Amino acid sequence: MASVETASAPRDGHRVASAAESGQRGGDIVCSGLYKWFGDSPVIASLDLYVARNQFVCVVGPSGCGKTTLLRMMAGLASIDSGTIAISGQRVTEPLASVAVVFQHYGLFPWKTVFHNVALPLRAAGVTKGEAARRANDALKLVGLNDIGNQYPAQLSGGMKQRVGLARALAIQPEVVLLDEPFAAVDAQTREILQEELLALWSRYQQTAVFVTHSIDEAITLADRVIVMGAKPGRILDDIEVPIGRPRSVASVRRHESYAPLREQIWEQLRGSSTAGGERG
Amino acid sequence: MAQRVEPKAVGAATPAGPQGDVAVISDTVLGAQIRDARRRRARRARRRFLAIRLISLVVVFGAWQIYGMHTIAILFAPISTVLHQGYLLFAHDQLGSQLGYSMWTFACGYAIGVAIGIVLGMLMGAYRWAEAAASMYVFALYATPMVALVPIISLWIGFDATAQIVIIALFVTWPMTVTVFHGVRQIDAELMEVSRSLRLNRRQMWVHVLLPGAVPFVITGATQGVAMGLVGVIIAELQTQLSGLGDALQTQSQTYHTAAALAVILLIMVLGVGLRAILGLVHHRAVPWLRIDRGDGAQR
Repeated sequence: MASVETASAPRDGHRVASAAESGQRGGDIVCSGLYKWFGDSPVIASLDLYVARNQFVCVVGPSGCGKTTLLRMMAGLASIDSGTIAISGQRVTEPLASVAVVFQHYGLFPWKTVFHNVALPLRAAGVTKGEAARRANDALKLVGLNDIGNQYPAQLSGGMKQRVGLARALAIQPEVVLLDEPFAAVDAQTREILQEELLALWSRYQQTAVFVTHSIDEAITLADRVIVMGAKPGRILDDIEVPIGRPRSVASVRRHESYAPLREQIWEQLRGSSTAGGERG
Repeated sequence: MAQRVEPKAVGAATPAGPQGDVAVISDTVLGAQIRDARRRRARRARRRFLAIRLISLVVVFGAWQIYGMHTIAILFAPISTVLHQGYLLFAHDQLGSQLGYSMWTFACGYAIGVAIGIVLGMLMGAYRWAEAAASMYVFALYATPMVALVPIISLWIGFDATAQIVIIALFVTWPMTVTVFHGVRQIDAELMEVSRSLRLNRRQMWVHVLLPGAVPFVITGATQGVAMGLVGVIIAELQTQLSGLGDALQTQSQTYHTAAALAVILLIMVLGVGLRAILGLVHHRAVPWLRIDRGDGAQR
């Protein structure tokens, strides 16, 4: 079964290249004919997705639909069994320098202070010490954490930790930011505050983002476009433009006339697929 | 209990008022009050701890003293006699130089064991090939009583200080290696993924992730190693050429100077406790990210 699907999977490298060339270079993502298996069962089957430069895309779906796996493949952290992903025209085979990831459990090094956590990827990329310090401090200022650089992650609340995670991602000035359920581990209030901050940040510094979430509300609030994924195998059920302009706030999105019908539409999609829902997270 | 409630009650009485300035001022005052209360509580807890420890020492050594005064001198001795004998051994016998000799072989063997343990443990933890190649020997040796190797070591190397140092190193190496190995393995899988995502090269991975992540386990291993190393010292000195503290112990007990033998044993115990205490301080200094005030007044 699995091998039959491999054979039929498109392996067309040219399509990737041509799509990247026709679109705007720098910060676009082209996934074509993606397959991924865990054991014998396909987690992702025949998935095509194009994310334009500076677009904020949210991926929603039930547990086990492969949305996190899709993100990890874009990040170069999970292998691609078949198909290709190209970011800014560059094929993903390992983590790319132009891509930053925000992790669900923050991914901060407990033995490094906040400042050194943010400066690490800059130093790793060969940025000079002074320049790295300046950019790390700028990034911390961006997320409103300029005065806690000397603290260790253990001293921070979940919301603050994820602000540091965001600052670390933005510090390298990436073309694409990938966020893997970044607000799933914080409480509901903090979550809304962080959404608000992210909206404010993105209205000032637009860039390509793929944001994976369980929450339909969160997806509509943040995204220009919502990708609805279904499980068994993971595939795209729907691809919905969010007709709500920017700048936005959490409240203004909730009040918008298209919010309720949009939510209804996505919810119907997910309910339809969840009867076949998987158990893998 | 009553004091514990106090700062909370004050806090409840000062929600941020309509005037921002007022709230800021009272927050500052309140912060200082809470900090002071917390410090007082911590100080009280420390004093209590020390008091109990002191009482425990008095009770145990008091019991030793009383029991010792009512028994035969060949079997046991009161603590006062033991301490006096210890003083005499230092002043009129060679206990000082014997202690020096033992500490010297211990330092050499311990250093070698710790160094091998760190390198081997980290390699096995970081690289699958190293684990595949070496772990079975390490775990086999870890499970073997090192005493069993002493006659063979003597056969190969002899009975001098070199042989003793090798024996001590063997006692320290395996627990050290195993602890460091497990420590490196326990470094969060997510953090390893983050390192890949941040595109750290091999050198940066070691400097920023593996080495600092392993520090707590290195210190834990080194602390266990002190006890193992001291066992090694005494066994080496008894089983090869009689020397150092082992010599003192053997000589005194074989001539039925029980009080003097107990003095040597007490000295070895003090050494163990003292060395562990030093490593406790090192641990405290070396891992600042693990001693953070979590608001309960206790520093971890």
